[in-house]
Amino acid sequence: MTALQRVMAAIEGKMQARPPFTMTLSLYGARLTSCPLSEYFSNPVRYAAGQEAVLDFCRPDIIFAPFVLTYEAAAFGSELHWPQDCPPNVRKPAVKSAEEFLKLPVPDPDTDKHLLFIRESVRLLAERLKGQTPICGIVTAPVDLPMLVMGIDTWIDTLINRPETARAVLDMTTQYFAAYANALFADGAAFIALPMTFTNPALVYKKLIDEMLLPALNKAFKLIKGPIVFHHGGSRIATFLSDFAALPNVAGFTLDPRDSFADARTKVGTECLLLGNLNGLTLNAGSTEELCKKVTNILADRSTDPHFIFATSGADIPLSTPPERIKAIADLIQAGWVR
Amino acid sequence: MADSDKQSELQQQTRNLIDFILAGEQAQADKLLADWADGNGHRSAICQILEPALEEIGRLWETEKISLAAGYLAGKVAETILQRASQKEEALPITRGPVIIGNIEDDYHSLGRKLVGIFLATAGWKVIDLGNDITPKEFVDAAIFYKATIIGASAMMFTTAQNIKKLRAEIDQRGLNGKIKLAAGGAVFKARPELVAEVGGDGTATNAVDVPALFDRLQKEIVE
Repeated sequence: MTALQRVMAAIEGKMQARPPFTMTLSLYGARLTSCPLSEYFSNPVRYAAGQEAVLDFCRPDIIFAPFVLTYEAAAFGSELHWPQDCPPNVRKPAVKSAEEFLKLPVPDPDTDKHLLFIRESVRLLAERLKGQTPICGIVTAPVDLPMLVMGIDTWIDTLINRPETARAVLDMTTQYFAAYANALFADGAAFIALPMTFTNPALVYKKLIDEMLLPALNKAFKLIKGPIVFHHGGSRIATFLSDFAALPNVAGFTLDPRDSFADARTKVGTECLLLGNLNGLTLNAGSTEELCKKVTNILADRSTDPHFIFATSGADIPLSTPPERIKAIADLIQAGWVR
Repeated sequence: MADSDKQSELQQQTRNLIDFILAGEQAQADKLLADWADGNGHRSAICQILEPALEEIGRLWETEKISLAAGYLAGKVAETILQRASQKEEALPITRGPVIIGNIEDDYHSLGRKLVGIFLATAGWKVIDLGNDITPKEFVDAAIFYKATIIGASAMMFTTAQNIKKLRAEIDQRGLNGKIKLAAGGAVFKARPELVAEVGGDGTATNAVDVPALFDRLQKEIVE
């Protein structure tokens, strides 16, 4: 059985001896190939080599396109900062107001160098994986992109105080989002994951979510030619999932590590794909035995759930994570776990 | 007006202010405080209406009953009335501080830090805001220069939070442990409170509104 078949079986709800699994190891490929981050995130050949190393190292059932959402901000003109040990942050947003945002050209996925790096990485990976292992593209949601381009406070302020301007911004990000996401599908991504921020009541007024942001997502998702995984984006989402389940093309949800799968199931029923929920940022904490215990608990919790993919939640697994921790998880799931 | 009537009116105004903030009505919230300040003075508007409203907002924020956007709006409302008081030459006296705040090296997520600065100023603290991407040396140099006894370092992500360890080391290496307190804050600490001890922080707050209370506690712990 290939990784793709395993993932498809989970989507279709066919029970397997073990669930598919993945870990967010976009960044970690740089460690496995001793590649400087500046090169890893600019040379598609080096990135693809890093992901092949990930595949050789722990054989996950899903491989990731470059997890560098700030490249989308850079495509709009935001200035980036490169820390030593993680992908770039936004140092300076491209604009200071929504009005300035609306005057920006919409980046073209066929010509922008940042987007082309990601697209070429996906193309190379697709060539090498030959459909055996699905590739997940990671894309900024159209409701979240403005915070990377104008700053989070300016975006909140626009949403609260100037709704018509906010709608115009969302129209523009939707146009860009559809072009970029569909280009990734054409390049070989099997699905895209969207870490969601501005759909969570922990971040923004529920009224704004219901009246402006969810309708914008509905419009945007309709334009997408492939499945979407809705990622928690750093906040609990289990109790809100019923609000998102009807969005077009949403194939599943990645839960926050603090979320309960049981709670999520009460909101989305038994047929929806759920992913998660080991905190990928904490693989270094405690002993390997304790880590394996956490993994075992998650697997046991989902032992009768065919629509489940074991995944690390949160941002990319840090470079400082010892490889033996990652390997221990992979070995436990691939060799040691039986439903 | 009898004292009880006045108290009742203050409570009603406070309730209205909270309702406006929770409804996302910034213009209404600003107007309520400005109208009260015009009739009763800015000190009354800030101390008798805004501060109790912020206490309630803080409680709601701590229990995750309100959004970051509501917290942001509370900060903007506080900032507006503080600026208005200053323009009318009715600024509140600075009673505490100075304190240093900034985003730690490599961190550019400034919203939380800006809100912390506003809420500290509302509570009477003199705030020196160093901005984003501040090195440990810059933090400690500033604390010494301004004779500050508390540094508040903000980080949003796990990776940048690790840089606060270097600030802890800088404070300790200069023999300032106990004389300068280190508050660590930001989204990652809310998700993982145990990280505060891991990076060497002396305390944290779950949201920006609660930071003045944290700084009050840290101030009391200073070793003279």
